[in-house]
Amino acid sequence: MAYQLYRNTTLGNSLQESLDELIQSQQITPQLALQVLLQFDKAINSALAQRVRNRVNFRGSLNTYRFCDNVWTFVLNDVEFREVTELIKVDKVKIVACDGKKILYNTT
Amino acid sequence: MACFNPVPKLYRSVIEDVIEGVRNLFAEEGIEEQVLKDLKQLWETKVLQSKATEDFFRNSIQSPLFTLQLPHSLHQTLQSATASLVIPAGRTLPSFTTAELGTSNSSANFTFPGYPIHVPAGVTLQTVSGHLYKVNVPIMVTQTSGRAGILQHPIQQVFQQLGQPSVIQTSVPQLNPCCLQATTEKSQRIETVLQQPTVLPSGPVDRKHLENATSDILVSPGNEHKIMPEALLRHQESSQYVNLPGVVFSPQVSQTNPNVESVLSGSASMTQNLHDESLSTSPHGALHQHVTDIQLHILKNGMYGCESVKQPRNTEEPSNIPVSEKDSNSRVDLSIRVTDDDTGEIIQVDGTGDTSSNEEIGSARDVDENEFLGVIDAGDLKVLEEEADSISNEDSATNSSDNEDPQVDIVEEDPLNSGDDVSEQDVPDLFDTDNVIVCQYDKIHRSKNKWKFYLKDGVMCFGGRDYVFAKAIGDAEW
Repeated sequence: MAYQLYRNTTLGNSLQESLDELIQSQQITPQLALQVLLQFDKAINSALAQRVRNRVNFRGSLNTYRFCDNVWTFVLNDVEFREVTELIKVDKVKIVACDGKKILYNTT
Repeated sequence: MACFNPVPKLYRSVIEDVIEGVRNLFAEEGIEEQVLKDLKQLWETKVLQSKATEDFFRNSIQSPLFTLQLPHSLHQTLQSATASLVIPAGRTLPSFTTAELGTSNSSANFTFPGYPIHVPAGVTLQTVSGHLYKVNVPIMVTQTSGRAGILQHPIQQVFQQLGQPSVIQTSVPQLNPCCLQATTEKSQRIETVLQQPTVLPSGPVDRKHLENATSDILVSPGNEHKIMPEALLRHQESSQYVNLPGVVFSPQVSQTNPNVESVLSGSASMTQNLHDESLSTSPHGALHQHVTDIQLHILKNGMYGCESVKQPRNTEEPSNIPVSEKDSNSRVDLSIRVTDDDTGEIIQVDGTGDTSSNEEIGSARDVDENEFLGVIDAGDLKVLEEEADSISNEDSATNSSDNEDPQVDIVEEDPLNSGDDVSEQDVPDLFDTDNVIVCQYDKIHRSKNKWKFYLKDGVMCFGGRDYVFAKAIGDAEW
């Protein structure tokens, strides 16, 4: 079981939209769509863990923080993200972070 | 290039992994392979159009799309019907003449690397997917200017053949080599429909390329055939683009999938000339896919923007669920809106008609009524309190000054504890942002008001663009 965290990304949302279209046209069942999403969870978790190697540093001011159900949610303002190759500045960013330690139980 | 932007490659690998992973699931459910391909196509298209990755399909050669871009001087080229394939320098592609194609049934393979290619009239093209298209009008394919290696305006030619109506499609614009198999066939009616099925990310950069790109599709004026290809690429009102009189669609297509027709009708300046004679019969097995693709790509066509084009699509959906959902949402929104108006009227009436001596009462009332928006200033709350106090004071005694009974004010304020709640920008608006990072945390550390974040395996989305990181370390002060 992998975090369903990444479903709310461009990749995840586009997959969900595509699945919704297929469900509406009755080409697949909702159960199958769910299975696809579970497969996506595994794939994205694995890909991020194994195929991505870069590091990013950031600095900003913390507007709010929230810790609930082992999930941190931050809102930062005036943040600079620094990577080796580029610098990105945003005036507001929301960070949603799940526990990175080994997952014993996961909601599905 | 992966080191500069690993996102496209990563996304592609994830898509491949997922599709492969669910292939067995689909097979077990008895679902056709085509549906899986549809899913992949839809997914890739959406990711591409989301401008999350700039070079999503830059290096992919899997798509069988044959993309055409027409040069500025296309009309001139078309006037003089050349009979050979012009291959740009640096590429060795087989060239063959119309005469050769016309007389023999041999097929020649040539790859389209994205460089200019001139397709003479009379050539029948077959995509890798197996659809046969006959070129009625000589077309020259050029590479888009601007970003190298990225095909900006994939255009697909829809050809109709007697006996095999097929619609072209799909989507993913491919830059690098597309294989086309040219076969020769004779058909009595040649209908050429040119359209731009796919869409590139509709960002400004792409539009710029649109302007620069030679995407006109022109038909030689001497074409006696009724069907004239029409350039659907009309995102910009550029003089480079030429409107062609008509677009032919097979009624077959329209019959099998009204979505396409509706979508196409929704697209800009598209006229459909249905020619009954040329239409044929049995829908292709891949027709649905292609139609869906056309639908998708045309939908995403930047010509009219997404919203306007989506309308016909949604209305044509068989289940009409999105439409109903939309309606219900709009109704809900309307109801909320009505409530707002009502409260607004009340507020304004009170505010303008307020005879209270305290000028701040009106604004406080406004804030109070708008409380559901989640914006409450502490100052306004205090005003509310003072208002209540002042009214009570008026009732009890003359209200000459606010300092008359300070103790009474304090006593009345405390039980309410209204001054304690200060929320400047409350939750709903605060957490609503386009810039989101989804990740896992290794450690979150705080010392007084200094926070340190140790994050990992994250996907960042800033203004639509995606980034990823394996590790992220951050500092912030609260």
